[in-house]
Amino acid sequence: MSLYILSKERLPQFVKALQGKFRVVGPVVTETGFAFDDITDPAQLQMDYTTTVLPPKKYFLPQREVLFSYRNEKENGGPQRLEMRPVYQDVQPTVIFGVHTCDMNGVMLYDKVFSEGFRDEHYMERREQIYIIGIECLHPCDEASFCKDMGTLTAPPIYDLHMTDAGDHYFVDTGTEKGERLLLDNAYVKMAEKEDIQRLGQVLSAKWPRFRMRLKMSRDQTPSLLTLGYQARLWQELGDRCLACGSCTNVCPTCFCFDVHDENDITMQGGERVRVWDSCQLREFALVAGGHNFRESKASRVRHRLMRKGKYIKQVHGLLGCTGCGRCERACLVNITIPGTLNALHEEMQLESGI
Amino acid sequence: MATKPKIAFFDFTSCEGCQLTVVDLLQTHLGLLDLVEIVQFREAMSEKGEDYQIAFIEGSCTRKSDEARLQKIRAQAAVVVALGACAHLGGVNALKNYWPIEKAQRYVYGEHGQDAYESYPARPISAVIPVDAVIPGCPIDRHEFLRIVQLLLQGRAPHLPDYPLCVECKFKENACLNYHGIPCLGPITRAGCDAICPSYGDGCEGCRGWAPEANFAYMREILRGHGLSDADIDARFTMFNHYQFQQMGEPAPVTTPLGPDRTAPLPTSTFAAPKED
Ligand code: SF4
Ligand code: SF4
Ligand code: SF4
Ligand code: SF4
Ligand code: SF4
Repeated sequence: MSLYILSKERLPQFVKALQGKFRVVGPVVTETGFAFDDITDPAQLQMDYTTTVLPPKKYFLPQREVLFSYRNEKENGGPQRLEMRPVYQDVQPTVIFGVHTCDMNGVMLYDKVFSEGFRDEHYMERREQIYIIGIECLHPCDEASFCKDMGTLTAPPIYDLHMTDAGDHYFVDTGTEKGERLLLDNAYVKMAEKEDIQRLGQVLSAKWPRFRMRLKMSRDQTPSLLTLGYQARLWQELGDRCLACGSCTNVCPTCFCFDVHDENDITMQGGERVRVWDSCQLREFALVAGGHNFRESKASRVRHRLMRKGKYIKQVHGLLGCTGCGRCERACLVNITIPGTLNALHEEMQLESGI
Repeated sequence: MATKPKIAFFDFTSCEGCQLTVVDLLQTHLGLLDLVEIVQFREAMSEKGEDYQIAFIEGSCTRKSDEARLQKIRAQAAVVVALGACAHLGGVNALKNYWPIEKAQRYVYGEHGQDAYESYPARPISAVIPVDAVIPGCPIDRHEFLRIVQLLLQGRAPHLPDYPLCVECKFKENACLNYHGIPCLGPITRAGCDAICPSYGDGCEGCRGWAPEANFAYMREILRGHGLSDADIDARFTMFNHYQFQQMGEPAPVTTPLGPDRTAPLPTSTFAAPKED
């Protein structure tokens, strides 16, 4: 849409102007790195950060979310009635600053997952109130990043605003009309001129050589690679190593599986039905009534995760289920990684590089 | 509920911290008393009713004479619940099982102490009587206690989380301690405490017992990465779960001898040997 210039000095004013009207969240400094958190003071906001343990998905699908409340009602000797009331948790106008392009790709997939086929009202209610302000990645977060391989180094068309650091100012691209209104109503900006746009082009083209490729194949090849490698020896090796700890999926911006259970209150006459993040790496995930487990072995679970990331999700939603953010690699204590696994599989299958 | 189920608390070898957690829970969740009637609870009342249906047993069995008392509780209670790591696992009490019992007795009670104080290797109560449910932890988690009681009252299976602690730790977005120089047993430990130790910067010590798929071999590799010796790693593995490894027999994934054939000297302790003046 349109391109604006926001001087860096004016960013705090922009944040401040939003604070009365929105919940403002963004990357802040923690003891060990960065995390998305509420911004109470504009000085907390770190637009230039590496990565976070959890992606901003926690604002789209909270770790624990109440879906409805229930209560056993009995009117003077009448029949018992279960009164149920829907709950829409954390639905409030929210602005998320500093979303990296990989994580925006994660949100793009979430939007598809929670609206295509079955429309998840709880997700959508929250989603409609969220403004996404992206930040262009000019350097890889660290060694674990492989966003360039996954094609997520460019902002997908889901942002309301997208910022690019140009030294003393940001370029702000408007992705939606409501995003543009948000900017113009709350920040001092000027329209970018011809020279500015040229400068933006320089900043953007300079970034690419800084990112390395880690996959020995093109990402387009992963669905067929996984099909061929379904029976590979590799899975057993990874299964032996895996701790079945679920960290890889909990930190993943595209993992969306959840479990649903009831939590009774102290009276045991009422309570809440909640959904919490679940993980295909955990033993109970594919355990069904009668005691059968569809994925008893850890090897089958590790394989399932890779299948989801590199093939199944693509078949259902048209996008690969991995953004190359590298979080699972950083979280895994036994070094089970997406590039490492795909490359090892590629080697075991002795395929051509395809690039 | 027409008549409230009657519950009772019993303690064996323990620090009573788990019972104190229940007392503490009653301060904030008095509504629990609308669900159950407590007929015996030494920590909180002096009356003693013997007509209980649910028995919560804290502490491990460490003497021959404990057995008869456990049998008596089992005979009365419809449901027996092991309360806390001592009752559930044997807990820290089972560390004495490293040594011949006479040696431990002499060490703790003095030269003639073994005649005065009865003792034998510590075991979880499930080694003596059938147990219907456990509430893990040292001490227990009060919310889990409440949840398990509610499940029992509904006649449902008293289900525990059967995945590792890391799940809860990641929900809280903690940075992993194992990456920051602090050994943590989270990957092999059953979740349910809301990862309380890592959330405050302390590595998990496994007080809730092992997760069903605990991967000891790779946990050992992770701990070696901290520069820990195998003996140190064994000490960590067995802190709360010594009895569990003993039960595994030969394939137990520890290298230090677990039984009384251990020849290593007892650790020195000023507590154990008070100076006489
Ligand atoms: S699979 Fe790993 S690298 Fe890919 S999106 Fe998920 S966390 Fe990021
Ligand atoms: S983080 Fe690593 S060890 Fe844990 S479940 Fe995932 S692959 Fe397995
Ligand atoms: S489990 Fe821990 S807190 Fe509970 S009684 Fe035993 S030592 Fe005390
Ligand atoms: S700190 Fe401990 S519990 Fe938390 S993720 Fe790391 S190993 Fe798991
Ligand atoms: S973190 Fe580990 S040691 Fe601490 S309470 Fe939980 S299970 Fe016990």
